Amino acid sequence: MKLEVKDIRKSFGDKEILKGINFSVESGKALGLLGRNGAGKTTTIRILMDVFHANSGEMFLDGKPFEPRKVQIGYLPEERGLYPKRQILEQMVYLARLRGVSKKEAIANAEKWLTKLQVDQYKDKLLETLSKGNQQKVQLASTLVCDPDIVILDEPFSGLDPVNSQILQDVVRELIGDGKIVIFSSHQMSYVEEFCEDVVIINHGEVVLSGNLMDIKREFGENQLVLSGVGMTAEDTKQIVANHLADLVEVTGTSKEDVIVQLLKGVTRNQLLKRLTDIDEFMVEHFETYKPSLNDIFVAKVGEEA
Amino acid sequence: MRRFWTVFEFELLSYIKNKSFMITTILLAVLLGAVMFLPRFIDMSDILGIEQTVDNDKQADQDSEDADEDSQDIAKLGIVDDQGFFTEKAILEQAFPDAEFTFMKDVEELKEAVESEEVEAGFLVKDDLNYEYYVLNRDITDENQIIFNEVLSLIHKQIYCAENGIDYATFVEGYEAAVECEEQILGKDAEDSYWYCYVLVIVIFMMIIMYGVMIATAVTTEKSNRSIEVLVTSIDSTYLLFGKVFAGAVAAVVQVGLILGAALVGYSMNHTYWGDKLDIILDIPGNVLVAFAIFGIGGFLFYAFLYGAVGALVSKTEDINKVAGGIQMIIMIVYFVVLFQLQNPDGLPMKVCSFLPVSSYSAMFVRIGMGSVATWEIVVSAVILFVSVFVAGWIAAKIYRMGTLRYGNPISLSKALKDLKKAE
Repeated sequence: MKLEVKDIRKSFGDKEILKGINFSVESGKALGLLGRNGAGKTTTIRILMDVFHANSGEMFLDGKPFEPRKVQIGYLPEERGLYPKRQILEQMVYLARLRGVSKKEAIANAEKWLTKLQVDQYKDKLLETLSKGNQQKVQLASTLVCDPDIVILDEPFSGLDPVNSQILQDVVRELIGDGKIVIFSSHQMSYVEEFCEDVVIINHGEVVLSGNLMDIKREFGENQLVLSGVGMTAEDTKQIVANHLADLVEVTGTSKEDVIVQLLKGVTRNQLLKRLTDIDEFMVEHFETYKPSLNDIFVAKVGEEA
Repeated sequence: MRRFWTVFEFELLSYIKNKSFMITTILLAVLLGAVMFLPRFIDMSDILGIEQTVDNDKQADQDSEDADEDSQDIAKLGIVDDQGFFTEKAILEQAFPDAEFTFMKDVEELKEAVESEEVEAGFLVKDDLNYEYYVLNRDITDENQIIFNEVLSLIHKQIYCAENGIDYATFVEGYEAAVECEEQILGKDAEDSYWYCYVLVIVIFMMIIMYGVMIATAVTTEKSNRSIEVLVTSIDSTYLLFGKVFAGAVAAVVQVGLILGAALVGYSMNHTYWGDKLDIILDIPGNVLVAFAIFGIGGFLFYAFLYGAVGALVSKTEDINKVAGGIQMIIMIVYFVVLFQLQNPDGLPMKVCSFLPVSSYSAMFVRIGMGSVATWEIVVSAVILFVSVFVAGWIAAKIYRMGTLRYGNPISLSKALKDLKKAE
């Protein structure tokens, strides 16, 4: 299956929230929607789920118009919520049946996911009697109870402790392994980096970066190097660069003792290395290709206007 | 449709699993049923006013006790009678059995006595057709004037007879001969149907007010617990709202049905012990019950959908009353108009009310029960009502969908309708 989103635009009143969002994702892959608070991630997901209607734009599933109620979708909204005063199994079966799953299948699915998430012992309890962490697990189990082909998780890691986020990571990995389409939004980059082959970074309602994460990293790190000198702070190294290397590179950032530099046009690595070895006061410690983390890319793309 | 039943089942279970709902239903049904059996075991003839053969001696004792009690609250009245109409007190004592009269010489003395509360009230008789009544603070139940009017009128007749040489006894016999009438009601006797119509109007009013808020709460619950987003992305919101409203309606009908049913069955088993005294309320003809059921359910659903829409406009259950005010006002107005017009079921206000969807639920069945109404009128009114129910349901479902993610301050119903129009 392939889900495509093409040029989605949305305004609330006079304010344009989404200014043309494009992305696509295929079965067995996870797509990470990244963006700062208020960037438009949740609005994009809500349009995808038909909670809001887009002002323009199209969505396709395998080339046909996408109708979220006609496909099995597991949706974990940003606003979490279930029935606090109803039994857990009862409400999970209800949610599955609303999506057209038979009662028998719904019970089996509910028990499967409750067991996997280690909360099956509470299935006959009222939701409100559970701890917050366990309620979150029940919420996730409810998302998956209809055995979805597409899983959309809006900020799934928010409010989870490390143990529970590990459980969630295992579940997401399993879903990807089972060939589901997984879309999730987050601002916790480490999780996105872990699962997502593709990312979409949204800022002020616009896609500022999208594509395969490996390619993005490679592209972003191209012609950038990490430099450091023995016994030198990043400031010292920056000074050296300014005094001796200004015609070859420019500094793009620092990280602890390292300085990240960009080769100027036409300059090769060997030229830089040669010049470095000529500088007496600088003993080379690190000279390597810069591999940016998603966090670095994110900050570089959307952080500067903050 | 299957998903509608899924919602309906889930929502109905929420009522059935609600302990206070079940306890109230069972408790009230059992209590009311049990009350109907009371006269079987306890002598309630006094309360019910049923004549029972009582021992003569006991009766005599009872009478004298009553007399003793009465003597304690004898009223003191003053009278100025210059004409000498009441030289024999007998006529006054007969007319005012619980009062003691004091004759006074002039109006000054009378006024003084009234003001100092020596006497409760006083009469200044000018002639056989004129008198003045003096009282310090007039009580709402004061009947002294009415009685005294009769007394004076009697005296006037006697004087008139004496002056014209007519024998008073012959005059009374001829003038006040009793009229005999045999009643032949060919249509409906409003006196018979008045009380059960009255009770049914109250029952349906209470149902709408009580369960309407319950339905609104059920709708708001999903906004306040934030489960609404998962729901509206799983199923068409129309099914959700209709499922909720119908579940609430069924719960209401079952609850009221059980309670009223217990009373009706209990009474039918014990009506002879009640001396058929409750027939005016509980012996309801089948056609009125059917009309009550059809129009009652229609009206109930109409308002239930409006309450459902109200529930969708707020995000916290405590805000429901803020938005429901307008609907409650309409329900109250309808209730009072129908109750005040109950004695005039064929009047214009009742005719108009019996066709409007906001009021036909009570006005039409009152007309069926007490007035004369043509079959076509009933059919037209029912069609208007049920079409309105579905229009209300359709609009409510739209509002419900629109209100899904509107959190914060409650939105007024009129603003929601305007937004709806704009969105279309």
